[in-house]
Amino acid sequence: MPNPIEPAKAAEVIRCAGVIKTYGEGNAAVQALRGVDLAIRPGELLMLEGPSGCGKTTLISILAGLLERDGGDCRVLGHDYQQMSAQEITRFRARNIGFVFQAFNLIPALTAAENAAVPLFINGVKRRPAIERAGEVLREMGFDNRMMHSLPAGLSGGQQQRVAIARALVHNPRLIVCDEPTSALDKGSGHLIMELMRRFALGKDRVLIVVTHDSRIFEFADRIARMEDGHIIGIDEPSRAPNGTTSKS
Amino acid sequence: MYFVALRMLLGDRLKYGGLLFGITFTSFLVTFAAAYFGGMMTRSFALIAENSRTDVWVMDPAVSAVEPNFNLPDSALNRVRSVAGVQSAMPLLLATTDARLPNGRFQSFEIIGVDDATLTGLPPLKGGLTPAGLRTPDAVIVDAGGTEGKLETPIRKADQWPYGNQPHLNVPTRPLAGGDEMLVNDNRVRVAGVAEALPRFPPRPLLFTTYSTAQRILPTERRRLTFVLATVVPGINPREVATRIEAVTGLHARASEDFKTDTVNWMIQNSEDVGDAITMLTIAMLVGFGVTGVMMFMFTHENLKFYAVLNAMGATSRMILSMIFAQAGLCAVVGTGLGLGLCAMAGECFDATDFPYRMMWFAPVVGGIAVVLISMVAAGFSIWPILKMRPASFLAGR
Repeated sequence: MPNPIEPAKAAEVIRCAGVIKTYGEGNAAVQALRGVDLAIRPGELLMLEGPSGCGKTTLISILAGLLERDGGDCRVLGHDYQQMSAQEITRFRARNIGFVFQAFNLIPALTAAENAAVPLFINGVKRRPAIERAGEVLREMGFDNRMMHSLPAGLSGGQQQRVAIARALVHNPRLIVCDEPTSALDKGSGHLIMELMRRFALGKDRVLIVVTHDSRIFEFADRIARMEDGHIIGIDEPSRAPNGTTSKS
Repeated sequence: MYFVALRMLLGDRLKYGGLLFGITFTSFLVTFAAAYFGGMMTRSFALIAENSRTDVWVMDPAVSAVEPNFNLPDSALNRVRSVAGVQSAMPLLLATTDARLPNGRFQSFEIIGVDDATLTGLPPLKGGLTPAGLRTPDAVIVDAGGTEGKLETPIRKADQWPYGNQPHLNVPTRPLAGGDEMLVNDNRVRVAGVAEALPRFPPRPLLFTTYSTAQRILPTERRRLTFVLATVVPGINPREVATRIEAVTGLHARASEDFKTDTVNWMIQNSEDVGDAITMLTIAMLVGFGVTGVMMFMFTHENLKFYAVLNAMGATSRMILSMIFAQAGLCAVVGTGLGLGLCAMAGECFDATDFPYRMMWFAPVVGGIAVVLISMVAAGFSIWPILKMRPASFLAGR
């Protein structure tokens, strides 16, 4: 059962207050997050930006239930992971969270459609309907039949990332976490991917969190959270981003 | 998710091939060892199988198998005949002797002396000859008994006796046939035919003759009766009659099927060849564990990233573990099939030879159990990195 939340903030998909995460113990302890406050509304694309080691990946791992926080409060879709068992967290991820990884991480032995259908397999959907549903999503992203039956090795980087996006969407999750989705792509492909994500992934009940160093895609964000040394030091809209990127809004 | 698991496995042909090799090798070798053991054991009770009309075997109380044996007093035959439920009882003589062949070479034979009246226990003869020829004076029937090249006699008359002071050993020979002669304990015997007996374990040439002829040509001993072969009255359980015989005569009596089991058990406990089969089995298991275990571990380790991704996407540990067991299971099923197929082919090849090989029911079962064990252990080795993996570390592509 989700914990009670204030009616005024009932619409927030994610709410974090004072989140702390420490790696190691004693003298070797490293505090990756030093009290992070964050609230994300439905329908929002939030980018997390900051130098390497600032805690971006740690934060999204905690938001996705892959890591346990050491302090503070954090509710995702009204749920507090610390009130849930490991199995409940895994099942929650299966139903509610989609991932787009930096290195695509498509399974080499599965075709594009089969890769995109994996979250449906995990949720117990039978093979044929799962692949059909994944095919529909891929078709919307411009895949033809030949590409859908291709193995990842036969696809370009941009095509592989589209498969990864389809995989993140196919089960209609409410939270999509993207870790450096454009770092392996050229500018054109990166823009195309971000356009696809805004068009297909963002919905009125869905949140996209994108961890990125890539300033070329800041314009696609609704807000950009800047992190440094385990803190969020500022949240801006793209037009006011410190590197001067022009906003598209 | 089994679909994903099997596709991952089949997509890595090198590892899949390695896994199949390990399991096929194990399945083949273990089943082969069990079939070899089955062949040896079948040969150990060949004498019982050849006396298929015998219901009860009666022997000295200290005897528990076809070999080794100890002879009975002649009175045992009538004592067994006097037991209620016994329809008939026939004597059987077993002994070992050396026979001298016409060129002076000598050869050990197992002599089997069958009942004069019924000739019960004679195997079929080559060339369609009838066993009646055994009733002529000094007649014997020979069989290779699983050996090769032992029943040879010189081709040329000049190499046969009388050959002078020195035997003619390295001369052209041919297999013994009807009409040939040998000397047993200075008694001339004439080969009436060649039998098609079951091979023995251990292999040795056989010499069938009547009980009385055997008594006459063998060196004199006080006791020559080895077994009494009894048939029971129809409708009575042989085991019941065996118990009755023991009670009345004080001798050891066993129904045929029980005697086969006793013989096999004795061979298992006392034969050194059983150790060879066990050694073969052990080597097969070690190779199987080694190859399969390493291959499975390598496969899982190389795919750890994808298992972490699946876990991140919501696949539970139980789901992932069942994927690994499904992969091991597929290799087990296919490898077992290939191994059993190879064994069947080996059996076909050995059919034309005298190699002891018999795929009894337990051979594929033992092979299957070995494969299951190896697959479980291999899957178990692979599970460890899965249980230790942290999906969060794969999130950033590390």
